[in-house]
Amino acid sequence: MAFTGKILLIDDEPHVRKYVGLLARGLGTPVIIEADNGEKALALYEQESPDLVLLDVNLPGMDGLQILAAILALDPDAVVIMLTSLANRQTIEECLRLGATSYIRKDTPKEVVFAELSAVVAENLKYN
Amino acid sequence: MVNTTESAPPAPPKGRKILVVDDERLNQRILGAILRPEGYEIIEADSAEKALELYAVHTPDLVLMDVLLPGINGFAACRELRNRYGNNAAPVIFITAKSDSEDVVEGLAAGGIDYLPKPIRPKEAVARIRTHLQIRRLLAEQQLLVDQLSKANAAKNRFLGMAAHDLRNPLASIRGLAEFLRDGVVGPMTPDQVDLINTIHSASQEMLLMVDELLDVAAIEAGELKISPEATDLVEIVTKSIYLANIEAAKKQTKIILTPSERPPQRRLDPNKIRQVVDNLLSNAVKYSPPGSTINVEVSFQKGSLVFAVRDQGPGIPESDRHKLFKDFGRTSVRPTAGEKSTGLGLAICRKIVEAHNGTITAENQPERGCIFRVSLPS
Repeated sequence: MAFTGKILLIDDEPHVRKYVGLLARGLGTPVIIEADNGEKALALYEQESPDLVLLDVNLPGMDGLQILAAILALDPDAVVIMLTSLANRQTIEECLRLGATSYIRKDTPKEVVFAELSAVVAENLKYN
Repeated sequence: MVNTTESAPPAPPKGRKILVVDDERLNQRILGAILRPEGYEIIEADSAEKALELYAVHTPDLVLMDVLLPGINGFAACRELRNRYGNNAAPVIFITAKSDSEDVVEGLAAGGIDYLPKPIRPKEAVARIRTHLQIRRLLAEQQLLVDQLSKANAAKNRFLGMAAHDLRNPLASIRGLAEFLRDGVVGPMTPDQVDLINTIHSASQEMLLMVDELLDVAAIEAGELKISPEATDLVEIVTKSIYLANIEAAKKQTKIILTPSERPPQRRLDPNKIRQVVDNLLSNAVKYSPPGSTINVEVSFQKGSLVFAVRDQGPGIPESDRHKLFKDFGRTSVRPTAGEKSTGLGLAICRKIVEAHNGTITAENQPERGCIFRVSLPS
C-alpha cells in the first residue's frame, strides 16, 4: 500500500523538515508541502487541503497548539500528527484533547517514528 | 533582625540595636552606661510583654534579658521570641542573679545563647556581646552566600535544561539523516562511506543519550521529578527491558537471564520511571561485564518490598569509588569492557527515581567477582 496523498509539514527547523520529509516519503509517493510558520501553514492548508498535517509543537510566533486549533476550525476532520521533541505530557495531552490525531517524538529512533506515521495513515486515510 | 535575602552587607557592630529587658531602673542605667559608649543603640523594656512589643517595632540585633520579671519571666519571653521569629530571632543573653547551673541550663534550653552573671562586669559584657553580634553577622553572611549559591544552581539547571533541549532536535535529525544515507535511500554508498556514516550515527546517538541524561538531571534538580504511580507489573517491565537489552548484549556475546520466581503482586509505581531504572541497570551490567558473560536478574517480594536485583560479572566496585557511585557525574575507575560510553549520570538518576518512590538502591560486591545492584521498593 502506497500513500499518494498530500502532506503539509510544518516545522521551523530545516533539518527537521528534511528528516521528517524523508520519513514521510517512505509511506509511498506523497506530495509534501512545507511551511516554517503558522501563517504560511494556514494559507497553505486552505489552498492545498492536505490529507495529513505534521505539525511541530514548539514554533516561534503561533505555536503548535494555536495552529492546531486554527486548522481544526477550518476543517474539523483534519488529520494532524504533532511533532514533539520531548515527552511533554501536558502539551501533548492538550493537543490530543483539542483534536490532534496522534503525536510523534522526533528524537525516538527512525523505525519507531515511521511505524507511528504508517499506523496513523493506515487508520485515518483512505488509499488510492 | 538581619534581612538575609538582601545583598547589602550586614551593618558593622556600631549602631546595632540592643534590647535591654530589666524591671530595675538601676540595672537599665548601668547597662546603658556600659553599652552606649560602644556605639550601640539601646532600647529599654521593663517587662517581657513590653519587650515583645518593642522587639516587633525595632527588630533589635541582640536581646539582654533579665530572668525574673513582673508578668511572664525571661525564659518564657525568650521561648516566645523563638516561636515568633524562629531562627531569625535575635540572640538572647540572659542576665542571671546567680550563675547557678540550673538557671543557666534552663536559659539555654529556652533558646538563650549565653548568660551574664550579676553584678555585670563591664568588660566581660562588652566582649561577649561583641562576640555574639559577630557570630550573628557571620551567620547572616553565610546565609546570604547559601541563598546566592542556590539561586545560581537553579539558574545553572534552567540553562542546562534549555541547552540540552535545544540540542536534541538537531541531534535527532543528524542521527536520522545518517540512517537514511547508510540505508542507501539516496543512492548506494561505498564501504568507506558507510564506515564514516556509521561513525556519525553512533556519535550522534551517544550525544543524544548524554543530552537526555543531562535533561533528566536538570529536571530532577529543579524539583521537576514527578512520579505518576499506577498499578504496575514489575515482572512485565523487566521482561520487556531484558528482551531489548539482550539485542545490545548479543553484540558482546553476553546473555541476560531472568531467574524465574513467584510473580510478585502489582504495585503502584511510575512505570516509565521504573523502566528507566531497569534499563539503566541492565545496560550497566552489560557494559561492565566482560564479553561472554551471563547477567542474572531477579524480581522478588521480600518483607513487604518489591526487590529487583541485577548480578553482573564485572570487576565489582572498588571500595575507594563507592562514595561516587550514585552521585552526579560520579564516574568510577571501572571502565566499560567494549569501549562503551558513560556520562556518570545514569546511577544518579536511578537513585533519584528510586528515592522518589521511597525506595533504596544499593550495590554489593560479590565475594568472587561481579556486583549486585538491588532496588527495593516498599509498599
